Amino acid sequence: MISGTSSWLPATSVSASGKRIQREMVELNNDPPPHCSAGPKGDNLYHWIATIIGTPGTPYQGGIFFLDIIFPTDYPFNPPQVVFKTRIYHCNVEPDGHVSMGILKDGWSPALTITKVLLAVRSLLTNPDPYNAVVPGIAHLYLGDRAKHDDIAAEWTVRFAK
Amino acid sequence: MYYRSSNIAARIFDRQISTPAPGTSVHHARRFYENLVPSYTVYEVECPDHSFRKFTDDGQYLISFSRNHQELIVYRPRWLSFSCNDDDCDKHDLPSKARRFDSFFTQLYCVSLASCNELICKDFFLYMDSNQFGLFATSTAQIHDAPAVGGAVQGVPSIEKITFHLLRLEDGEILDRKVFSNDFVNLTHNMGVFLYDDLLAIVSLRYQTIHILQIRDSGNLVHVRAIGEFCREDDELFLNSNAQDISSSDKNKQHQSTENHVENQMHQGQPHMGNSFLSGIKQRLLSFIFQGLWNEESDDTLRMQRLRMKFYFHFQDYVDLIIWKVQFLDRHHLLIKFGSVDGGVSRNADHHPAFVAVYNMDTTEIVSFYQNSADELYLLFEKFCDHFHVTSRNSMYMNFVSSHSNNIHALEQLRSIKDKASNSSQFVKKMLASLPFSCQSLSPSPYFDQSLFRFDDKLISATDRHRQSTDHPIKFILRNYPHSLKFKIKPGPEAGSMDGRAKKISSFLFHPILPFALSIQQTLFLQPSVVNIHFRR
Repeated sequence: MISGTSSWLPATSVSASGKRIQREMVELNNDPPPHCSAGPKGDNLYHWIATIIGTPGTPYQGGIFFLDIIFPTDYPFNPPQVVFKTRIYHCNVEPDGHVSMGILKDGWSPALTITKVLLAVRSLLTNPDPYNAVVPGIAHLYLGDRAKHDDIAAEWTVRFAK
Repeated sequence: MYYRSSNIAARIFDRQISTPAPGTSVHHARRFYENLVPSYTVYEVECPDHSFRKFTDDGQYLISFSRNHQELIVYRPRWLSFSCNDDDCDKHDLPSKARRFDSFFTQLYCVSLASCNELICKDFFLYMDSNQFGLFATSTAQIHDAPAVGGAVQGVPSIEKITFHLLRLEDGEILDRKVFSNDFVNLTHNMGVFLYDDLLAIVSLRYQTIHILQIRDSGNLVHVRAIGEFCREDDELFLNSNAQDISSSDKNKQHQSTENHVENQMHQGQPHMGNSFLSGIKQRLLSFIFQGLWNEESDDTLRMQRLRMKFYFHFQDYVDLIIWKVQFLDRHHLLIKFGSVDGGVSRNADHHPAFVAVYNMDTTEIVSFYQNSADELYLLFEKFCDHFHVTSRNSMYMNFVSSHSNNIHALEQLRSIKDKASNSSQFVKKMLASLPFSCQSLSPSPYFDQSLFRFDDKLISATDRHRQSTDHPIKFILRNYPHSLKFKIKPGPEAGSMDGRAKKISSFLFHPILPFALSIQQTLFLQPSVVNIHFRR
């Protein structure tokens, strides 16, 4: 049982999920996706913080987005939870910051890794998925008036993600 | 340099025939204070039993509060005059009529500031000398174990009501008031409030917001912006106007709040349920730290390692930092101290980790960020101390307050402490603990100018603080030739106190211009204080 931030079990007795997360950490370190980084918060292997630098050419350009990544204890059999800690204007991000994405729900596969999740979130910022939106208002605007959507999203970035 | 007489007549003659080097005329003029010193003491002056706060920095007013912390009493300092029948009246003692408090001060007015259960915070007073406005605070009692509701920080006490009163000191008219409800502003020694020109920064420790107010010439306190949850003044409005399509439950609350209660509106606007977004100022801070580390290293793998150890590992510690104290550096930049909750409220915060950041409130950018043990920040502090001691534009005389950056003697003193310090990082922390500076905490009196006088700064200094006092008089020795003892300031009764063991606390109020000072000595038992007047006879 992993509790809070205090349990840092010696490497030999780390559970299967812990071993898997450690392996993914090494993998992420060796080959980090561009404009992304992540690492465990404090000494809790199951709670990570990730950072995505807004991709140039998108309305999120210039923003630094922080995300919480929370791994379940039975990882990788269940997906991690990915939550924005930085306000973002995006049709696939719930008003409380939760990222809504197929691979983080039913589309999850144990073959996916944190590197792939980060890449997926990053590409979601470039290409929102308005047909599976959690904020319909933003999706409608994205489909109906792309320029206005981008202006608002850029304004959010300047105000809340710098 | 050739020998100059320290005789006042010779100096006046000298002033007539020679011009001081460019830029030094004020320094030259100030040397006359070596001749004019408050060397005569009137002991145990018969005076009203008030707590005397300070002379305003222009010397126009003496601020005092009634013992029951209900009223503000303002005096105009004046020079005493008395008549004497003899030819040589200098030989005589002062006539008893002249030895009274009211021959030195005229009461201008007495205003009641406290109301209901509020009392005047006698440690708090700020003076805006361009308009001769005074800012006072009254508050109800502190609640220490206040529950952290509505986005409040856990562990910070609460005060039901804090009222700031803006007064025109000329006639004591109350011009405006600002109320903070269920909040906590550190009012001791003006710590939580900073005045620069007409801008006022008030730190709400409880709701982690820096309220920027402007004091208008009309005497109104106008809310300019609140920095904390949001950075720009219209961020919240922007968020709400964009929120029609983002369903959220905590928005409805904002519509209920009335418009004239800015503070409360801010608090209620703070989302509390299930919302874990970083506050505006934290987002800026974290992204500044992140970008610094990101740009330091170009190799991807090394960069990741660096971020993991220096950023993600400490992420929660950064998130948990709270704003302790703030000062203006100029009209756009704030120096903000961040620390843990424990250190924000306690008086001795030296051993708590702390950070300072320079924040530009117009661009909403963090300009720089240092830990309180950073050598780089210490070097800036040592060399450019006066840039931290910012004073409003029109208070030129404050430029002559001695600091280790403008005074060789103060610098020598600092260096000798530094050399003696066994642990350099402890020393740096201790020195940087004074940042950000408290507003208007230094007396501009020339008798504290370290290029004119030498004195024991454990017993007395320009810093407005209560000090433990001894029965020995405090000596002021000429810094220049002939290095002689020029005057002594002795607080308490002339013969020393009856009970040598009783702990005594003294405070000193020096007039900013005249050779004139008050010393107030209190024993810890609730006896009336002993007030001595020191002046040049």
